[in-house]
Amino acid sequence: MNRREFLQLTGAAAAGGALSSCTINPEKLIPLLVPPEDGSIPGVADYYASICRQCPAGCGIIVRVSEGRANKIEGNPLHPVNKGKLCARGQAALQALYHPDRIRQPLKRTGVRGSGEFSPVSWEEGLSLLAEKLKGMKTAGARKGMIFFTPELQGTILQLVKAFTEHFNGMHVPYESLSLESHRKASVDVYGRYELPDYDIGSAQYIISFGADFLETFVSPVRYGDAYGRMRRARPTVRGLFTYAGPRMSMTAASADSWLPVKTGKEGILAAGMAGVILDEELYDGPALNIYGLNVSELKAAMADYPLKRVAEETGLTERDIFSASRDFARLRPSIAIAGDTVAHQTNGIDSIKAVHLLNLLTGNFGKQGGVRFSPKDLKQTASSYSKLLDTIDDMSGGSVRVALFHGVDPVYALPKTSGFEKALGKVPFIASFSSFQCDTTRQADLILPDHTDLESWGEVIPSIGGDIGVVGTVQPVVRPVHNTLAFPDALLSLVKTEGGKVPGISAYGDYPAVLKEHIRQASGHKPGADFERVWTKTLQRGGIFKEDSKPVKSINRSGKFIFTVPRKAVFSGDEKQFPFHLHIYPSAIMFDGRSAHLPWLQETPDPMTTAVWGTWLEINPKTAGSLGITHGDLVEVESPAGSIRVPVVIYPAIRSEVMAMPLGQGHRNFGRYAAGRGVNPLDLLETVVDKENRLPALGATRVRIKRISKKGGLITAGHPDGSYRGELLEI
Amino acid sequence: MSKSKSNYKWGMVIDLDRCTGCSACVVACQAENNVPVVGEERSAEGRMLHWLRIERYWDGEYPHVRARFIPVLCQQCDNAPCEPVCPVYASYQTPEGLNGQVYNRCVGTRYCANNCPWSVRVFNFHEPEWPKPLNDQLNPDVTVRSKGVMEKCTFCIQRINRGKMKAKEEGRLVRDDEIQPACAQTCPPGAIIFGNMADKGSFVFRLSRSSRRFRLLEDLGTEPVVIYLKGGGREGA
Repeated sequence: MNRREFLQLTGAAAAGGALSSCTINPEKLIPLLVPPEDGSIPGVADYYASICRQCPAGCGIIVRVSEGRANKIEGNPLHPVNKGKLCARGQAALQALYHPDRIRQPLKRTGVRGSGEFSPVSWEEGLSLLAEKLKGMKTAGARKGMIFFTPELQGTILQLVKAFTEHFNGMHVPYESLSLESHRKASVDVYGRYELPDYDIGSAQYIISFGADFLETFVSPVRYGDAYGRMRRARPTVRGLFTYAGPRMSMTAASADSWLPVKTGKEGILAAGMAGVILDEELYDGPALNIYGLNVSELKAAMADYPLKRVAEETGLTERDIFSASRDFARLRPSIAIAGDTVAHQTNGIDSIKAVHLLNLLTGNFGKQGGVRFSPKDLKQTASSYSKLLDTIDDMSGGSVRVALFHGVDPVYALPKTSGFEKALGKVPFIASFSSFQCDTTRQADLILPDHTDLESWGEVIPSIGGDIGVVGTVQPVVRPVHNTLAFPDALLSLVKTEGGKVPGISAYGDYPAVLKEHIRQASGHKPGADFERVWTKTLQRGGIFKEDSKPVKSINRSGKFIFTVPRKAVFSGDEKQFPFHLHIYPSAIMFDGRSAHLPWLQETPDPMTTAVWGTWLEINPKTAGSLGITHGDLVEVESPAGSIRVPVVIYPAIRSEVMAMPLGQGHRNFGRYAAGRGVNPLDLLETVVDKENRLPALGATRVRIKRISKKGGLITAGHPDGSYRGELLEI
Repeated sequence: MSKSKSNYKWGMVIDLDRCTGCSACVVACQAENNVPVVGEERSAEGRMLHWLRIERYWDGEYPHVRARFIPVLCQQCDNAPCEPVCPVYASYQTPEGLNGQVYNRCVGTRYCANNCPWSVRVFNFHEPEWPKPLNDQLNPDVTVRSKGVMEKCTFCIQRINRGKMKAKEEGRLVRDDEIQPACAQTCPPGAIIFGNMADKGSFVFRLSRSSRRFRLLEDLGTEPVVIYLKGGGREGA
């Protein structure tokens, strides 16, 4: 026996011994002598269902928790919105919980406002300080002395915030920086529905998107991402087709089969022109038009001044491209036309969205599988109103506002500088914020009462689009609070209680989790008792109440008639001669509107189109850049009638020559170490109101001029700009 | 090809017709595998540590321009160029067809990264930083690497092992779809499919036989197990 044989034999014997002992199935050699108090077992992970709140889409999540620490967020496969999937922002949400710059306890301002000098106070002290300021508000007479700024809320939290503001004679101002107001207004006019339409992309044969970046930021990107995959490859014989119309090729547009680089503000004209082609070619669904109360000759008359030739001229496209897109749209049914943020944020936004919806009506795609759908119940959410928000600025500078409260919004960052919000806020005697981070607004606060982060809170989320599904997602704490924070609803309840007041329908249940439980009980239709306890546990385990309702709304129930007109001409701030370029501001695929900029994983995730990290940039067409003597990475000054900023340049091959694009998301002055002082905020270039008539926000209605400053723009990209032109990869 | 007797041969299919470039996989991978961020300055030096990246390619000129995305991760080659060059056997072929990387063997010569045609190996030039309490998010199943160590995609080996252990306890083989790496699990359009190529009935094997298949830098003959599917066309395939 040589050495090798000996080793083999002994090895086999040892392995055999090990194997035979395995079959006895040793359960637990040493049971835990002192089991952990929270019931967790070391080395064994627990999974909790909750809801992601990085954007209003309301995707279901499952959080993996090991020994009391949250380690990983996954999509909840049971949740009908995202079906187990999650986007980059959802994946990164974990870092908000363990962020090193979270506000760890209540803080009171000690230095001058905005200096960032705070000292810790106890919760009793903090709450009583705010209670003192709110005292007497009730008797302050007719004038609203308190304003409460929040994002769009729903359910119990909305009830609570409303009751709270009423109790203290205040005003609740909900606000979303990517406002869906124009979409809602158009939806009411066309469909008689207040809620946003849901699009059944997965079953469609043809999709045309007018600036709707539904794979990255628009309304519910994970839901639509999943549907997009199915549209392409889930059917054995059909590969759905996709066309994108917009002045800049977005990440969503990169996936399209064809891109129509339509001029800024002319998207609605394009949609109207396509409707004209469908009418002329008689490709419309006649019976459907009757049901929708539309008349072919009236529609034709409305389009009389816009023959295809004129549409092509105005939009900057070829007649052939418009014609073939119209024909594909009408023939490859079911088809969907979607209008998105960059269309809505023009001064003719509402008109344009209506023109896009007309396409859906013409081909009878309403209420169909693979078409435009609404849920049976019209969800009357409290929508934000830009106009109302602007009014508060006047109120604040007028001195009638004595207390301003903020939760979950950062208007100092998210409103154009020209709005004067920050200055007006300076006139408010007392500012309190419930934020978990020192965002630009919270920095101005006199008192910070930090809320738990999403993974430590109770709550409920109704997804921003329901479509054919009835969903209430439940938010539950997955870990114990990391810091000395207090749940925001409980802080409100305690403030009302200190005043000796009661919130009708809420105070009776005690703390907020009990309120939520009661609300879910009512929504589930169960009687209180052991039976409901089981349902409640089950609901939390599943992550909400999901009632799949496959009965879409078939009829349009609007009060008046939908009178179609060709969209008006878009108005722009800035003279065309002085400011030759359009500024195209879009929500970042990675940072969204900026609310996720504090998360380091996202800061270092390359932007899909430019591969840029840790900053902002300006996208310029190569020919334009060449004529201006600008190259990749140069620092330029972008100037608009409202202001100027300096930003590095990315040479971007897929943008119109007269358009320059910038992502939202960076340019926070504060907001933790990873976001503070990084990049610039393109909102600094905007006028507050361009659309005087509707008083709606218009991110895309500004003209700019640019000037090269130096070659040191500080641009960082993950990919090499020259290495990315690879003709041989065209086939994919 | 390896002469492994294992029941498993892990493989992946990435359908580029579904991929939208959204980068959810990039962040999911970081979160699952304790991949740190390196910060602005070191990003500029090209020292980002992503195990999975989205390559974006431009083609053509305005207005006939196209952008295409390709998620690139370790191709887990059968004839891996990274393996034979390691002087300390830190990179090796596992019996299940993965290109393993033994962190505590690695001495940081970076020969493997130099030899990788896809540039998917990343090196810790600096000690990773997890400012407290950010370290609480770390996945306890995955080693936190230190300065001087090469790291790379493992197909989420910790998930593979967990799945195999569970299957073994129940006296069966791993079921199709039972194990998913973080990237495949989160991918919204379902572009990334992972599974056992040794099982001819598995979804990933059937997809890998598609007429749309190709492999990145296939002509190098390294036999990657990551199969890409082309997109485009007016009909389904």
